[in-house]
Amino acid sequence: MNTLRASLLLAAKDLRIERRGYQTLGLVIVLGVLIVVVLAMALGTGGAGPGPGAAAILWVAYLFGGTLCFEKTMAVERQDDALAGLLLAPIERGAVFAGKLLANLTLMFCLAAVITPVGILLFHFDLSAAPVRYALITTLGMIGFAAIGTLFAAAAASSRLQGGLLAMLVFPLTLPVVLTSTQLMLATFDPARAQSGAAGLSILVAFDVIFLAASWLAFDLLIEP
Amino acid sequence: MLISAQQAEFTAERAAAGAAPAVSADGLGCTIDGRRVLSGISLEIPVGAAVSLLGANGAGKSTLLRLLSTLVAPTDGRLRLFGFDGSRATAALRARIGLVGHQSMLYRDLSLLENLEFFGKLYGVPAPRERAMHLITRLGLAGREHDPVRALSRGMTQRVAVARALVHSPPLLLADEPFSGLDASSAAALEELFEALRSGGTTIIMASHDVAQSLRLSRRIIALRAGRVVLDAPSCSLDAEEVLETTGGGG
Repeated sequence: MNTLRASLLLAAKDLRIERRGYQTLGLVIVLGVLIVVVLAMALGTGGAGPGPGAAAILWVAYLFGGTLCFEKTMAVERQDDALAGLLLAPIERGAVFAGKLLANLTLMFCLAAVITPVGILLFHFDLSAAPVRYALITTLGMIGFAAIGTLFAAAAASSRLQGGLLAMLVFPLTLPVVLTSTQLMLATFDPARAQSGAAGLSILVAFDVIFLAASWLAFDLLIEP
Repeated sequence: MLISAQQAEFTAERAAAGAAPAVSADGLGCTIDGRRVLSGISLEIPVGAAVSLLGANGAGKSTLLRLLSTLVAPTDGRLRLFGFDGSRATAALRARIGLVGHQSMLYRDLSLLENLEFFGKLYGVPAPRERAMHLITRLGLAGREHDPVRALSRGMTQRVAVARALVHSPPLLLADEPFSGLDASSAAALEELFEALRSGGTTIIMASHDVAQSLRLSRRIIALRAGRVVLDAPSCSLDAEEVLETTGGGG
């Protein structure tokens, strides 16, 4: 089976499992909404609010929700040694990585689709100025973040160190993607910072390519039955 | 079409290697977390053989099966499966191996049919749904195909695990205590299936604690003790007491 077909098959399997009880999505959406609400209360929703800074707050919710998605989708493979079944199959290990990445990205997009409107409402964040650009930056940022997250979720699941270890590994490593995305969003919605926008997008794409390639190559070495 | 490509690749490799045994191990050893689990395993198992691995808990049976399945790489020695380097574990080679492990390797939230169909597709089985239904019926699970695996009893789950290992009709079946948790009638049905597979030319290597059953089902007994082969003989030349004595009391 070619790698693309195998990846799609694996992602479809993960999403089918998710549809059975929405266990992951239910959890990450509640967490994401809580983060946004708590920060809205802390910063105060009246007056001008955080303005373009709301994009950064939304990113925090995406990141924590995403990390939970990575852990949950790998936990499915740990139950009953299902991962061994995948590694025995005549498919490239890269297909397992790509399948998990696709599933994680789908879950993160669903999370963003729910908590972004919540953030817009609570922070009076005017997304209408550049909705497509916001979606593009979010998507590119999520791809780089999910690539590293998927890799380290597999590595953490293969080791005895699980749980909180993932966030400790992923957050520092994805800092370049997170910072670039946040700066780009601020540049998009804050006219005073608009100059850095175009260059930042190229940097974000470059980080995505590097993170995807490195994760794809490293996955084969880190994953263990 | 994809499985045909793998089949063609395998056939070409196989033709190049000649009529090779299913398993050929030479001085195979394995160290896990600093502990020597297997040492100096040398054996040759011809195609179509039915072999039982016996030994007490911790003797190395499960590790040897995972090693033969290519899931675990040997730390020393040489392994060849159907004449090809076992440490390379190419897709074509993995497509020839079925493993029933200690755990089911199934997804609890998917139904029996979904699990088997998924693995059938991964292996490039031409009609995965039909193949899955055939195995479900053959293993006496018809009528439960839409039940999630988590709703099944231990014995039923074990039967689905066997079906998963057989979904791509592998010529080498490795089974780690496949009869554990089965009631008498399920065990009899599985024995019958194994016998049919062996008659059809499938090489079966099974780890077990049941000496009497192993002597009955297998043509050859390999006993392990502390990671080493201590007995390798035709089953017809052995009795249960002799085997138990050699393995140190473990089945």
